[in-house]
Amino acid sequence: MIRYIVRRILFLIPVLAGVAFCVFTLLYLTPGDPAKMVLGEMATERAIQEFREREGLDKPFLMQFANYVYKAVTRGDIGRSYVTKRPVMDEILAAFPATLKLAAFAIVIAIIIGLPCGILSAIKQYSIFDTAAMIFAMIGLSMPVFWLGLLLILLFSVHLRWLPPSGFDTFQAMILPSLALSAQSISMITRMTRSSMLEVIRADYIRTARSKGQKESVVIWRHALHNALIPVVTLCGLQFGQLLSGAILTESIFAIPGVGRLMVDSIKARDYPVVQGGVLFVAVAFSLVNLLVDLLYAYIDPRIKAQYK
Amino acid sequence: MKRNGWVVLLIILACVAGLTYHQMRRQQQAEEYGYESVPARSASGEGGRTDAKDVLVVADQYDATSMDPIAHNDVPSSRAVYSLYDTLIFADDEGNIFPGLAESWELLSGTEYKFNLRKGVKFHNGDELNAEDVRHAIMRATTDAGARIAVYSQNVKDVQVIDDHTLVIELKKTDYSFFPSLTHSWAAIYSKRAFEELGDGFGMNPAGAGSGPFKFVSWQKGNKYVLERFDDYWGPKPRVKTIEVRSIPEPTSRTIALETGEADIIFPVVHNDLRRVDENENLVLYRKPQNSITYVGFNVTKPPFDNVNVRRAVASALDVAGIQAASYRGVGNAPGSLVPSAVKYSLNDVTPVRERDVELAKKLLAEAGVNDLRLEIWTNERKERVDSATIIQAQLEEAGIKSEIKVLEWGAYLNGLLEKRHDLFILGWVNSIPDPNYAISGLLESSALGSTNYTFFSDAKLDELLDRGRGLEDGDERAALYKEMQLYIDEQLPMIYLHNDESIAGTRKNVRGFEPRSNEIHSFREVYFE
Repeated sequence: MIRYIVRRILFLIPVLAGVAFCVFTLLYLTPGDPAKMVLGEMATERAIQEFREREGLDKPFLMQFANYVYKAVTRGDIGRSYVTKRPVMDEILAAFPATLKLAAFAIVIAIIIGLPCGILSAIKQYSIFDTAAMIFAMIGLSMPVFWLGLLLILLFSVHLRWLPPSGFDTFQAMILPSLALSAQSISMITRMTRSSMLEVIRADYIRTARSKGQKESVVIWRHALHNALIPVVTLCGLQFGQLLSGAILTESIFAIPGVGRLMVDSIKARDYPVVQGGVLFVAVAFSLVNLLVDLLYAYIDPRIKAQYK
Repeated sequence: MKRNGWVVLLIILACVAGLTYHQMRRQQQAEEYGYESVPARSASGEGGRTDAKDVLVVADQYDATSMDPIAHNDVPSSRAVYSLYDTLIFADDEGNIFPGLAESWELLSGTEYKFNLRKGVKFHNGDELNAEDVRHAIMRATTDAGARIAVYSQNVKDVQVIDDHTLVIELKKTDYSFFPSLTHSWAAIYSKRAFEELGDGFGMNPAGAGSGPFKFVSWQKGNKYVLERFDDYWGPKPRVKTIEVRSIPEPTSRTIALETGEADIIFPVVHNDLRRVDENENLVLYRKPQNSITYVGFNVTKPPFDNVNVRRAVASALDVAGIQAASYRGVGNAPGSLVPSAVKYSLNDVTPVRERDVELAKKLLAEAGVNDLRLEIWTNERKERVDSATIIQAQLEEAGIKSEIKVLEWGAYLNGLLEKRHDLFILGWVNSIPDPNYAISGLLESSALGSTNYTFFSDAKLDELLDRGRGLEDGDERAALYKEMQLYIDEQLPMIYLHNDESIAGTRKNVRGFEPRSNEIHSFREVYFE
């Protein structure tokens, strides 16, 4: 098991190298001169030249990349923000708690709502509940988050005045953004649970369980659900990883200073070190969440645990 | 397997419980601390608010980028600087200058400005203002740290300290537009000692550095900064105890924050929401002409736009007033001149807006020998500009000019403009200093080539006029010169003036003493709750 984890973590290295290279290349090819964006339109030629030299922007592309990797590997230094002059890591860590909280709330809401809905839909297939759930899931999946967010604000903040329309400081303030963000995940988890359950319910061992006279509730809970959960756990993990990588639109609408907003602002300001650091950070977070999901698998599915040896 | 399922569920539940507890704690701490944003439930008006409300919540579109006075040249940061620091002199909305940290001043010559500092002014760290602090602040602006505001500081030669409260700012060459530029945030004064102690972190955490009516408490980048009343302030003390400036980039979210009482003041209010704020009896809408201009510029280095008659043809094909009214939906007006109305010597209100004459356009094009003109209209993503470009495209079509619209992201836009790849482009210019020199020189003088002169207009006569204008003291002669300049620019037509914007802000009804400023550097110094 430990060997497996170590191997998986080592596997992060080529992934990160690849991600770093892609981001570096993309930023390099993006029009817009960071020196001009950081120093302002009125900056003198001399100041711009000095900025380029100081930040190593005058060097050839591969040199720049090698430099970046070298510093990151040897000193753990992923640079300083052009704009705030603070270390990139500080910038990201300052923004991450908001994103983490948002993602955690959203995924919890998604599981709490999505899982029961999916199970009910499956055991009462073609019932009114099933149809309604599937329609809602379809809507939730198709509804753009910025629109849903605004509708939620209008209903709960403007008309009912129950919840604040923006921010993330208080528990109440977290509810609306988490709801808006979780809509798609709810829908996906509902649909996945439903189809996975339906598949399992038709399996031979369920028929066996029923035919030996087992109570229906036990059949559903013990035999069907546990087997049906496996793909759902994967999905939840993937969704969580996705939510973590910065819910840019949600963060903008609800004015939440998370990683997504930090990255958008940095892209606009051509604050390259922060963009690079941000993408790398998200890649690491995403990979680690995936690793956790895979480990969780072992808990749920003994067949997989056997493979980890 | 059953047990394992429960373990997973337990882990999830533990996470939820942990997070919830963490939230509750934070909320509790926030309430104890006293300046956390007011949740909507207590903002509904039924006694949720205490009578002694002393936290002013402001919602701005963008966060400040730096609180170091010289490390930025953007409006949200200048607003933060205006609350935290003082300048030697202040200006009101009509451009009148009045004393700030300097009690009085004297123009010794065109290059020497003597200032007598107010005595007993305290910085937030307790130190007293000294001429050395002024010297340090102004001279630091002339170094590369001040690259962003070099346009104002580059002419400073030296600052001579006569005694603790007297100093002379010496310029390299005569420039009477320099003096009013001292009202801009670049010339804000901070404690030299505090600056040295804070080091690199100064821009992000200027605690103790300023002498302004509010002192720095905290700043959560991308979210909000919090300032608190400085009780030893030399001038009239602010009436609110704490101000919290949040950034809410989404326009509708901003308006909703005002409606729910989550914010007390918001700006800007977008055009779509004007009526909503205006008609709400709990809110007040403020509109004020802004010292800015949006223009449609030509790349005058690129044929056939190097020919003034072709530029005139394009301009004649456009109904500027109509485009302005349609794109900006009744906000602002179509300008008559490059210099905004509130800036002195402006001809904006007396010069008629250019009228449409499609036949003239066709005739001019034929005379210039230009058939089948095709061009690109560039703009950034601002909705009103894209709308304007669309109407311009349709109107040009009627004059037989084919065009294509290119909407570019800001960084890419500026880059393209600097590379001179554009034909027609839509851009804006804000005049934060009440002197006509800044309304013209940054856009059209040869010295601004490669920085903010994107028309690449370079004209010996205009350069000479601008140079003379800076060398003249205010008076009839200077007035006549700037009027001549404006007429000359209209004739040369490097750009078509499209729009004078308004500063638009909304407040709750109980907010008093607030008025938007025409240079957008809104002040919270006099704001109070009724």
